[in-house]
Amino acid sequence: MNYTRFEKARIIGARALQLSMGAPCLLVDLPKDLIDPVDIAMREFDEDAIPITVKRKER
Amino acid sequence: MATKKPEPKKKTAPKPKPAPKKAVPPPKAKPEQPKTKKTPEKPASKPVKPKSAASVKAAKELAKKKIEAPPVERKMIPRPEKEKEPAEYTDLRDDVKKILKDRFLPISIIDGIVEWILKDKKLHPKLKIIVEKALEDFTHNQIDPTEACGMVAAQSIGEPGTQMTMRTFHYAGVAEINVTLGLPRLIEIVDARSTPSTPMMNIYLRDEYRVNPDLAKEIANKIEITRLTDVADIEMDLVNITLTIKPNAKTMEKKSITLEEILDKVSNVKKVSAAKEKETIKVTLDDPGYKALQNINESLKNLKIKGIDGIKRVIIRKEPNEGYVIYSEGSNLKEVLDIDGVDPYRTTTNDIHAIARELGIEAARNMIIQEAFSTLSEQGLNVDMRHIMLVADVMSADGTVRAIGRHGVSGEKSSVLSRAAFEITVNHLLLASQRGESDTLNGVAENIIVGQPVNLGTGAIELVMSHKKQKQKGK
Repeated sequence: MNYTRFEKARIIGARALQLSMGAPCLLVDLPKDLIDPVDIAMREFDEDAIPITVKRKER
Repeated sequence: MATKKPEPKKKTAPKPKPAPKKAVPPPKAKPEQPKTKKTPEKPASKPVKPKSAASVKAAKELAKKKIEAPPVERKMIPRPEKEKEPAEYTDLRDDVKKILKDRFLPISIIDGIVEWILKDKKLHPKLKIIVEKALEDFTHNQIDPTEACGMVAAQSIGEPGTQMTMRTFHYAGVAEINVTLGLPRLIEIVDARSTPSTPMMNIYLRDEYRVNPDLAKEIANKIEITRLTDVADIEMDLVNITLTIKPNAKTMEKKSITLEEILDKVSNVKKVSAAKEKETIKVTLDDPGYKALQNINESLKNLKIKGIDGIKRVIIRKEPNEGYVIYSEGSNLKEVLDIDGVDPYRTTTNDIHAIARELGIEAARNMIIQEAFSTLSEQGLNVDMRHIMLVADVMSADGTVRAIGRHGVSGEKSSVLSRAAFEITVNHLLLASQRGESDTLNGVAENIIVGQPVNLGTGAIELVMSHKKQKQKGK
């Protein structure tokens, strides 16, 4: 599924919140210097590792 | 910001021309009135049975007669036929459609592709790649769902609006027709005023009328209002209590008016009898009196001899590639369209309500777009047309032309809180509580008031856990 920019922002935001509260990272090889939860969430998004999708409204 | 292109619209690109769809609105509307008026009378007169049945029948017959009688036969002028496209165009178009299958590309883009490929035949084998690429670009540029396009449109029109000259009067070309422009005109359009402050028409002509100056002049004479004082002098004879109308032969000929026409018009005036006397017309009063004479004199001065109400002045101009075009100060779309020789498909007015009445709401929408766009570009402000299209769509969405603001769109919102947030808060809340209205919290203002995320952009997205098995892309 292609996400719109709003959906992308929302997913990364939600995931970053989880990470900041201590959720385990889903990336196998996480670079040591990647600390910021938003950066990690974005990396996870790029790798398609976040178990979150959007529910689109039916038209 | 104004030059940004934020939202490709779903509708196909508009032609800035108002493209009147039907030149002839059904003339039935009027005759139907008497019928509807009559129906409520029926139950009232029911108790008296035999008599009422007859009277109802008579009334029905009368109504029928009335319906049959008045419709003024309007000649349907055939739509100018479009030049037929060469076969290669249609073939190529079909090819594009085949590649597209069910996917959508605006007609204007397909047209562009077809044109380019016919210009450069080498491109033809690459048709598939070109269409796919165009489709990709098109989808990429489409507006995202839940984008606040109205807000962007408002800002994009509002910001350049601040740079508009407050008051501008402008003389269109050589002809000194005064036109409201700039901010006042833009406000007029957006407020959907019932009549523009400077109504104007561009009257295009058909076939031979637009090439022949005499025929064009003839039509102009039919349109421009001519009053008795324009073609004749009125002399009062206080001794015999009569009026003498002395027509000016020169101007009469220029306006192609005969003495008989004037006589006919004058004798239609009440309480007056007119008689021809050589080259003049003698008017005698049925009920002679000094005061009455004065009154008649006044009303004769303003007597309409020829022309259409509301059209004060016309100017004929020869336009390149077009021929003669009539520009008029004052507007009366309905009657101008009835004149033989006027091209109903191209004639326009800046009176948007008249267009909505005569040609339909889509024509009005197109005219709003065209007027607003030209008003802005006249001032050197480049606002993307799609912003204006959105405004025009909102204004015409319910089939009538509504104003933006208190008296129109904003005042008729269904949400209580939204209305209360806009103006006269207490009144709206009080009325709503009396009526027991509920608010579904769909709009922006309502959600801000209750402290929720707004139903736009990121706020409109609902997240769910994806249950599909994680594809661990461990690298």
